[in-house]
Amino acid sequence: MVVAGRRKSIAFFISLGAGLIVVTLLLYVGWVLLDWRHGILLILGILLLSMIIAGVVINTIFLVREIRRNEQHDSFINAVTHELKTPVASIRLYLQTLQTRDVDEAKRQDFYRIMLEDSDRLLGTIEQVLRTGRMGASSRKLNLARIDLDGVVLECLGRARTLHHVAEESLRYQPGPPITIMGDPDEVRAAVSNLIDNAVKYSGTPVDVTVETAKVDAKYVAVRVKDQGVGIPQVELKQIFKRFYRVPGPLATRVKGTGLGLYIVRSVAKRHGGRAWAESAGPGQGSTFVLQLPIAK
Amino acid sequence: MSRVLVVEDEAHLAEGLRFNMEAEGYQVQVVETGEAALDLIASEAPPFDVVVLDVMLPGKDGFEVMSELRQAGQFIPTLMLTARGHPEDVIKGFAAGADDYLTKPFELAILLARIRSLLRRREWLKSVQGRVATPEQTDSFSFGDKSVNFELLQLRVGERTFPLTLMEANLLRYLIQHEGKPVARKKMLEEVWGVHEDTDTRPIDNFIVRLRRYIEHDPTHPRHLITLRGVGYRFVAHPDQPV
Repeated sequence: MVVAGRRKSIAFFISLGAGLIVVTLLLYVGWVLLDWRHGILLILGILLLSMIIAGVVINTIFLVREIRRNEQHDSFINAVTHELKTPVASIRLYLQTLQTRDVDEAKRQDFYRIMLEDSDRLLGTIEQVLRTGRMGASSRKLNLARIDLDGVVLECLGRARTLHHVAEESLRYQPGPPITIMGDPDEVRAAVSNLIDNAVKYSGTPVDVTVETAKVDAKYVAVRVKDQGVGIPQVELKQIFKRFYRVPGPLATRVKGTGLGLYIVRSVAKRHGGRAWAESAGPGQGSTFVLQLPIAK
Repeated sequence: MSRVLVVEDEAHLAEGLRFNMEAEGYQVQVVETGEAALDLIASEAPPFDVVVLDVMLPGKDGFEVMSELRQAGQFIPTLMLTARGHPEDVIKGFAAGADDYLTKPFELAILLARIRSLLRRREWLKSVQGRVATPEQTDSFSFGDKSVNFELLQLRVGERTFPLTLMEANLLRYLIQHEGKPVARKKMLEEVWGVHEDTDTRPIDNFIVRLRRYIEHDPTHPRHLITLRGVGYRFVAHPDQPV
């Protein structure tokens, strides 16, 4: 789908470029052939020239956008390659070690644990990529059900604490009044999990993350995930929800990821008739992510 | 005991590598960042015998670390270990000064064999350097405004100095020793790399391209490192002099 979309946009640039060349030729030939003193022709010439200039500007803007998209696509491929190959390399390394060496029982158990964690990481990446594919297919319907928001958040917190080895006091929960929402349990769980995972990953050490749920008004409830981590520059607050986008810089290499997590969060919010956004005072100031979802009637 | 430095930010991989290398009898040190590796290599005495370097590191990436090491005159045999297996990545790694390149996921036995091979080459070089103390032996060699110091792994061209990797220096030494004579690619693989099987000889061409960049005025029209079609190469020290 992405490829088809890209082909379409490239076709647009090519047609625009060809159109501009035709207009330029018309202008040039017309200018030579016709008497320049005729006022109407002069106006026509000015119009055509303005069209060309506008066309060139549009073409350049789109071209730059396409180049950026290509760059993001490349960095996504790199990130996914890394996220898929690294755990596989690790699992193979431990399996081959167990196969070829005498390993004592304690070490053996340690290796099993590491391999399980790596397979979880692998599964996480695969799920993230598949989910993004499903989000793109807008025809896919939501499996709506009444969900106890508290239960979902608690489940996601438990999973994150195990996955990232974080203590309860570092990843706290401040529940609001019990609220039932109408949503697709699988998607809501993925969105909340992504927010909590991000908060932990970008916290550095020590991890200090608070998750809150609160009623916004009669219609909506908000899940707020607040961290004291690296923070987000003002200009990036919207960008980070775009597909494949990761804030450029050394942090993108230090904290591993595919650039899909927040895109999934935003897509889930939209599909449920809610919204998602980020707040941050700037780099180093921590950040808060809010997922707003409709309350069940 | 050989000392190995592992530069790897993935804790699980680093731990597995440490376990296996220690089982092989190496003394292993692991660092997570390129910056830490550069600091450690600069300050460590005695120096490490082999470095295993990941590419996707936080901060400076493996390619940058590799180039900086070579520019700083650190010629420790280095194996780059990375998930990036595109030909351009491999070439970039070698161009940065790597001695070997292996993509993830890898075979443990092959990784260990390659580390052994790097260690063995280092030992061979040491023993050759020990033997070649006589003046006619090529500890250094000058031609035109260029001079190669095989001990320091340095090539001077006019005012500029280029650090050479171990393999670049070995290949250049071999070609110089056979000055004026045609040298077959397969022969170079056998004598310089110590490979006897039917190995692909194309990597040699990459090394020649790099050497040409250093010593040729115009690398597209080489005068010192001449290609002999279907055979290999010939080194000519003084192209202006009649043969």
